[in-house]
Amino acid sequence: MIEARSASLVYEDNGKEVFACHDIDLRVKDGEFIGILGPSGSGKSSLLYVLCGLKRATSGGVAFDGQDYSSISGEALAGLRLKNFGFVFQYPYLLGYLSALENVMLGYPNPGSKTKDEAEAQLRSLGLADKAHRFPHQLSGGERQRVCIGRALLGTKRVVFADEPTANLDHLNGMAVVETLVSNRGSGSLVMVTHDPSMLERADRVVTILDGKIHSV
Amino acid sequence: MKSPLAPYVFLLRNLSKSTPLAGVIVLAVLLISGIVVIMNSIPLSIRTTYSYSRFHTGVTPRGNPAMTPTLKKIILDESPVALGPLMTCRAADCEVKSIVGPWRFVVIALEQNDMRSYAARLGATKLTGRWPRKGEPEAVVSEPILKNMQLKMGSAILKPEDSNNYSPKPVKIVGVLRTDQWLAMMPIEYHRANHFPPIDLLVVMAKSLDEQDKLDHWIYERFKGMQARVFAYFKLEEETTEMFKILYSILNVVIGLLVIVITLMMALLMNIYQSQRVQEFGLLQAIGLSRNTLLRRILAESAIVVFLGWVMGLVSSLAFLSLIRKVLFDPRAFMLDPFDRTAYLYTVPVPIVIFAVSALTIWTKFHKFDPVGVVERRLV
Repeated sequence: MIEARSASLVYEDNGKEVFACHDIDLRVKDGEFIGILGPSGSGKSSLLYVLCGLKRATSGGVAFDGQDYSSISGEALAGLRLKNFGFVFQYPYLLGYLSALENVMLGYPNPGSKTKDEAEAQLRSLGLADKAHRFPHQLSGGERQRVCIGRALLGTKRVVFADEPTANLDHLNGMAVVETLVSNRGSGSLVMVTHDPSMLERADRVVTILDGKIHSV
Repeated sequence: MKSPLAPYVFLLRNLSKSTPLAGVIVLAVLLISGIVVIMNSIPLSIRTTYSYSRFHTGVTPRGNPAMTPTLKKIILDESPVALGPLMTCRAADCEVKSIVGPWRFVVIALEQNDMRSYAARLGATKLTGRWPRKGEPEAVVSEPILKNMQLKMGSAILKPEDSNNYSPKPVKIVGVLRTDQWLAMMPIEYHRANHFPPIDLLVVMAKSLDEQDKLDHWIYERFKGMQARVFAYFKLEEETTEMFKILYSILNVVIGLLVIVITLMMALLMNIYQSQRVQEFGLLQAIGLSRNTLLRRILAESAIVVFLGWVMGLVSSLAFLSLIRKVLFDPRAFMLDPFDRTAYLYTVPVPIVIFAVSALTIWTKFHKFDPVGVVERRLV
C-alpha cells in the first residue's frame, strides 16, 4: 500500500548535506502494524514524515496505492493525507477552543452531522463519552492523547501514523495508548515510531533505524 | 452541526483576541467619519445659514445710491423669466454664531406686506406672536435664529449697547416664524429712520422658484461691470466650494496618512494574532488540511472581523455623531449631519486596505510555513 523506494531525505546544515533518511526501501502492507525503532536523532521521525507525505523525499520515491507523492501537488497530497491517514503526535495537540468532540471531528474531511455521530461513537469506544464536551484544558494528558487517537481513527483511515505517542506518558499509560491504537484501528495499518522497544510487543514488524538507514527488519 | 472549522466558531470562542482587532477598525472608522462630518459641518452651516438667499437675488447699488431705480428698471424690462415680487429693502448687520466663530448675518428691513410675502416665499407661514408694526423697533425671526443667538420672545435682537448687533433702540422680537430657514426681518421705516447707510437694495424673485437660479445667473451677468453688486445663491455655492477646496485636499492627505498608520498597526496586530496560532495551523496542515483551505478559512475570519469592525464603526459613528449633534450642536442651531454619506465613503478604504494587508501578511506567513516544525515542536 505504501512503498518507499530508495527514498532519501537530505537536510542542509551549514552548507553540509545531512541525510535524515538514506536510501530507504520499505513497504507497509494493509492492516500491518509496523514499529520504527531507533535512538534519538536516528531519523525515525523523518522516515515517518516521508512515508506519510509531510516531507517529500529528496531522492527516490514514496507511493501510496501506486501513486507517487512526487507526481501530485501539495494540495492533492494534503487531501490524500486527510482522507487516508490518521496522525498521533508526541504532543497531544488539540485546538484549545474546540471541545473534545469537535477536535475528533477535525479528522474527517467534511464535518457534518454524520461525522458528529461517528465522533461520539469514537469517543465512547475510547472511554471518553462523558468528556465529549470538555475543552482540552479540562482533560488530563492521557485523555488528551486519547482524543488525538479518536481524531486519527475517525472515518475509515487506511494508515495511522503515530510519532512517539507514548513519549510523554508513564509506562502504563503508554501501553494503554498503544493498546487503544492497535485495537481501534480496525483494518487499517499502523506505523508507530518509538525509542521504547516494549511499546512494540504487538507489532507485526519492527524496523530499526540508525543514522537514517534501516539497520534491521 | 456546525463545522468546528467554521470561521465564526474561532472568532466567537476567542473574543478576547478578535475583539481588539475589530475595535481598532471601529476606532479608525469613528475617527475618520467624525473628522469628515465635523469638517463638512462648516460648509453645511454656510449653506444652511444663508439658505434664504436661494429664494431671491439680492441687488445693491455700488458707489452710487441713486442707481437703485435704474437697476430695478433693467430687471423689470429685460428679465428672461417671469418675475414675482420685486421688493425694496434695507439691511442691518447682526452676528450669528458658528462652530468656527461669529458670522455676519442680516436683519432684512422690509415693508409690512413684503415681510409677509417674503416669509411665505420661504414657506414660513406659521407665526407665533405677531408681525412687527410699521416703523417700530420690532423684529420677527425664525426659530434657528432664536436658538443660535439664544434669544426669546421679547428680547432684543439689536440694541444700542451691542456693537455687533447695533441699533440705536432695542429692536424687540415680537414674532417667531416656525421654519428651518434662518431669517430675521424688521420694518423698513424703522431702518430708514435709524440706520446707516441710506441705500435701498432690491430683492428680486422669479415667479416660479424653479427659475430663480436662471434669474440669478442672468442678473449676475447683466450687471457685470456696472455700479451694482449681486448676491446670488450660486455664487455662495461657488465661493464655499472654492474656500474648502484646499481644506479638503489637506483632509485627504490626513485621512490617507491615518489609513496608512492604522493599516500598519493592523498588519502588526494580525501578525501577532496569527503567530499565536502557529500550533493550530501546523496541526491542521499536518493532519491533511491543505494550505489553500487554511488560507481561505483565515481570510474568511479576517474578512468577518474587518467587515464587522467597519459596520460597527459606522453604527458607532452614527450614534456618536447623533449624540454630539443633540448635546452640542442642536441647542445653538449649529449644523451637523450624522448621516453625511461622504464621511462614510471616506472610511471605505479602511476595511479594503486592512483586508488586503492582512491577506498579504497571512499569505506570506503561510508561504514558508512548515507544519513538521510545529508537530516536532521546533516552531512552538
